[in-house]
Parts: sequence; C-alpha cells; structure tokens
Amino acid sequence: MSKNKPEKKLKSRLWQFPWGYKESYLVAFFLLLTGFLIQLIVGGGIRMPGWPVNIAIIIIFIIYFILIHYLVKHPIVRWLSSTQAAIASVTAFTLMVLLLGFIPQGATEEPGLIDSLGLTHVTSSWPYLMSALYLLVVLGFTIVRRFKSFTIKNIAFNLNHIGLWIVVVAASLGSSDMWILKTQLEKKHPSVTAYDGSGKAFNMGFGMMLLDFNIEEYPAQVGIMRNDDYTLMIEKGGKLATIEEGTTEEIENFILSFEKYIPFAGKVEDHYDTTSLSGGARAAYIKVQDAQGNDLAEGWVADGSYNVPGSYLMINNEFSVAMTMPRPKKYSSDIRVYHTMEEYKDYHIEVNKPVKIEGWKVYQVGYDESMGRWSEKSIIELVRDPWLPAVYTGIFMILFGTLYLLWMGKGRTKTKKA
Amino acid sequence: MTWLDYPTYLLLATVFWSMALIMLLTPNKSVFHMLKGVFLVLGWVAIITFTIGLWISLERPPFRTLAETRLWYGVFIASIGIVLFYRWKLPLMLAYTIIMALLFLFLNYLNPDTFDKTLMPALQSPWFIPHVVVYIVGYAFLGFSSLIGVWGLYLYYKGQDVERVMLMADNIVYIGFAFLTFGLLFGALWAKEAWGHYWTWDPKETWAFLTWLAYLLYIHFRLKKKQSPKTALWIVSVAFMILLICWFGINYLPSAQSSVHVYSS
Repeated sequence: MSKNKPEKKLKSRLWQFPWGYKESYLVAFFLLLTGFLIQLIVGGGIRMPGWPVNIAIIIIFIIYFILIHYLVKHPIVRWLSSTQAAIASVTAFTLMVLLLGFIPQGATEEPGLIDSLGLTHVTSSWPYLMSALYLLVVLGFTIVRRFKSFTIKNIAFNLNHIGLWIVVVAASLGSSDMWILKTQLEKKHPSVTAYDGSGKAFNMGFGMMLLDFNIEEYPAQVGIMRNDDYTLMIEKGGKLATIEEGTTEEIENFILSFEKYIPFAGKVEDHYDTTSLSGGARAAYIKVQDAQGNDLAEGWVADGSYNVPGSYLMINNEFSVAMTMPRPKKYSSDIRVYHTMEEYKDYHIEVNKPVKIEGWKVYQVGYDESMGRWSEKSIIELVRDPWLPAVYTGIFMILFGTLYLLWMGKGRTKTKKA
Repeated sequence: MTWLDYPTYLLLATVFWSMALIMLLTPNKSVFHMLKGVFLVLGWVAIITFTIGLWISLERPPFRTLAETRLWYGVFIASIGIVLFYRWKLPLMLAYTIIMALLFLFLNYLNPDTFDKTLMPALQSPWFIPHVVVYIVGYAFLGFSSLIGVWGLYLYYKGQDVERVMLMADNIVYIGFAFLTFGLLFGALWAKEAWGHYWTWDPKETWAFLTWLAYLLYIHFRLKKKQSPKTALWIVSVAFMILLICWFGINYLPSAQSSVHVYSS
C-alpha cells in the first residue's frame, strides 16, 4: 500500500495551484496540438490583419494584460508570469523554430502530411501562431508584474522584456502593412510603375529614370581548368592567378606569364585587340611553361561578353587555362526622381547604401547580368515599412538591456557559505 | 602572407602552446611553471601575426569564409582562456581553450580556403566587422560554457558539489548570450540596409535565433533556485550543438541550400 502512495500524491497534485513545470508543459502541448488540428482542418497559411485591425489587436492585448493583472486575483494569473510558464512557452516556440530550421520551406511538388501540418510554411501556420501567442501572453504578464519598481536591475529587465515583446509583436502584426516593390530602370525612359512579389503593378506616385549605371569589377583572374568537365581546380587549397601585364605566376605546377592584357577587347580573326565598341571582353596573352621552364603553350585567354566570344588556352589533353567570369566589386546607379513633370531630384544608390524617397527606402538590388558591366538597366527595390520605428525601438531597448547583462553578468559571483 | 604560409605559423603556435601546457604540469614553484606565460604569449603572437598578415594580403577583412572565422575563433578562445586563467586560476580551462584553439586551427590546415580576395557588394559595409566579431566572441564564450557544462556533469555524476561550477557557467553564458544578442541585432540592422528587411528567416538567421533561444532557456531555467543542476548542465551542453549547426552544419542542411549566408561557392 505504501508503494502506491507517491503516485497518488502526484496525480492529485496535477492541475492543483500553484502550477509548475508539468502544467506549463501540458498547456504548451495542448496549444501545439490545437494548432496542428486547426491547421489540418483549415489548411493554408495565416495572413496577419493589416492597419487598423493590427493596432487595435495590440491595444486590446495591452489593456487586457493590465486589467487582468490588477483585477483578477486567480492563481492562473500568477502562473502566467511564472518562470515555469516562461520556460515552457520558450520551449514550445523553440520547437516550432527547430522545425522551421530543419524542414525546407516553400511549396513542394507533391504535398504530403508535412504540408498539411503547415510545416512547409511554419511562420504562417497555426501551431506557430499558438506557440508565439503563448510566449507573448506569458511575456506580457511578466512585464506587467515587474513594471512597478524602477531599480536599475528592473530597468534592464524591462528594457529586455518589453523590447522583445515590441519587436515580436510589431514585426509579426506589422508584416502585412509592409510594401516591397521592384522595378527596372532604364535610361531615357522615366517609369512610374513598380511591381510586387506576385507581379501586380503599382503606381509609385513619382517617376524614376536611370541616368547612369556604374560597375566596378575585381581584377581578371585565370585558373587551371580540367578539359573533361570544364571545372576549375580551385577547391581544397587551389588558387587563381590575378592577371597583371608583365608578371608571372605559378599555379598547379604551371608557370603563367602574362605578356599582354587588354581590359576592353574585341576579337579580330584569331586574336584580340582593344575595342571601343560596347561589350568589350577582358583578354590576356599568356605563355605557359612547366616547372622546369619548358614551353608548353601560348595564346589568348578571354572571359567573353554578350558581344565578344571568350577563349581558353589548351595546355595539354588534360588541362587548359581559363578566365573566371567577372565579379562585381561595387555597383551603383545614378537616378533621377520626378516629383512632378518639371520638379526633379537626383540620387545615387548603391548596395548597402539605400536612399529615402517620398517615404520609401530605395535599394540597389541588381542589374542586367547577361550584359555585365555594359548593363543599361538597373533593378531597384522600394520598401515601405510603417512599423519599422516600433521594431527599431524594441531592438534598441534590447541592445541597452543587453549592455547591462554584459556588465553585470548574473550579478552573483560567489557561492553562499552554508 | 597567404594561407600558403599558414603551416609555419601553425607549427610555431602548436610548439609554443604545447610547451606551455607541459609546463603547466610542473610543480608550482619551478622555473618552468613561471615560464609558461611566455610560451602562451609566443604561441598567441604567432597566430595573431598570421591573421594580420592575411588581412593585409587579402586587402579585405578576413571574416568571410569558414576557415577565416575558424582562425578568429582560435585567436579569441585562446585569448579568453589565457585571460581567465590568470584571473581565476583555472588550469583545466586553460588546457581546454588551448586545445580547442589548436583543434580549430588544425582544421584550417586540413581544409584551407581558396585564395579568394573578392568580397561581394552586399558584404561591403561598416556592419561587416562588428557583426562577425561579436558573434565569434560570443561563440568563444559559449564554447567555454559548454565545456564547463560537461565538466559539471562529470562532477555531478561523481557525486561532487557543482554549485561553484554552475555559477561560473552562469556568468560565462550571460557574457556569451549578450554577444550573441548583439550579433543577432547588428545583423538585423545591417540586413535592413543591405536587403531591405531586418528579418527574412534566412536559414542562418533561423539557426542563430535557435541558438539564442536555447541559451535563453538556460538563463531562465537557472533563475529558479533549488533546481537540479543536472538539467541545466545538459541544456548548456546541448545548446552548443545548436550553435555548431548554425556555424558549420548549415552548409549541409537541405533546408539551407538557398541561404544568403552560404558564401562557400
């Protein structure tokens, strides 16, 4: 009889207040289960409500935390701000993000159970929403409970927790108010249209035109290519040689002498010469010797462009010298923005250096790669995210809160003597 | 200086640091024991010389490829080990950090990088260095905490008191977690400037966030007093696995093949 006692005690304890780990984890389990069931039944992805429904939800959320905290004296409210609930909700959320980390996201060819459970679009699935809600509710009650005293330690606590709450809420509920449009600019043709991800056209309310597209490339490089599969021998410590007229480089036991280098070359019969035409390729006259200094081959190597054919130099049956495709170091566009027909302003946009135009952030994202440095087109992206200030507020709150963490550690360095 | 010169410097560091570790075993008052600091620093100088030389020869900060980040990890974890050794007198930790540093540096000997000087336009930003440096410092601290975790588990299963170990793990995790947070947030601020959005659930972002969540769990778990240290020690050991997936494993995950953070090709 005494053997059964502990079990009985355990059973009667479950769901009895105060709740601990078991209850917190069971709540997490039921929430996820519910989420998966709703997902199976409803299917598809959740789309967050836009303005002004999202702001209403947030305000109701906050009022609800405060009212319940002050008016309801039920042990469940106390539990909602407990460490155990925090840990269980973070665990449930982590579990969903783990699934996101392991399962490739996006549409699959043959939808199966994984799709039906929403796991190929985790961040818009019901179980993810459930776990995020659990986390945000627990976080919300924790914040309200700790908001009273303003010691330095509490301020750091508030910065971290409120910051996190703001970031998660503003980033997820604000996502549907975000606009991402793309457009391709050309010279002499002002355009007022940009397209969203699904190809739908929008009028930007102002005109844009490309004045100039600039590209700076890394120096031309050559490598040793295998003739049978046209692959370069650069894996596992191999290397490429940078072309500089008059220099010699040793790679893969071949000695390459760069006798001539033409940055803008056209092909004339069997050799290359400087050209002023559009689409000039990069060409080099290279002499190849073996390690003992015996001549093996010499000739032209060029990367080629849309206008000029490329060439590689056969050393023997096994290997050739080939030039790598040009790699951009920097690219940027000079653009003209027409606010009205007469009124315009010029901007310079570069990767990593977006500009602000009429409430949009405008990014340089690409160009016509088939034309390379001769591209006449510039691809730009326009982003409008009205929730960004809120997200940044949260981010900076966490940054400052974290500085405190870094400075203080856990705040206890010595063991207490018993 | 290029990766071709690497074996020389690696050999120097290995010899100096091995000498230092052997000297660590000599009696406290002996001359050898006193001298170990000199050898620790010499090994460190060998690696830092190579790193700076590589930086100069590449004409860009060496923070891009896996081998480059491993190099920095070696530098930072050895530095942390040496500083903490003199601060808290932890010979075992010193041995661990030096061996870990050598392990990572040796991995670079087996898998050297290609001699790629190029840095794609998206990486050319003032955010590049702080973003990578804070992560690597964070990784070094968290790697250290995971060893403390394993050591704590060993003591725990031997039935010894682990409270001192737990407090050390706590403080190291707090520091590492702070750096991880900086890395994540700097990354978000940079992404907004480079790609137009601060968070895109790119696989590397997802895994960095998972690492952050795992240590967040540890920190919250440790808030409750009178908790079995066993679970906490397991969390801190397992969290490092997630960190390693984020750092290396990501290149092999099917879910990460489209990641903008895979710069190997």
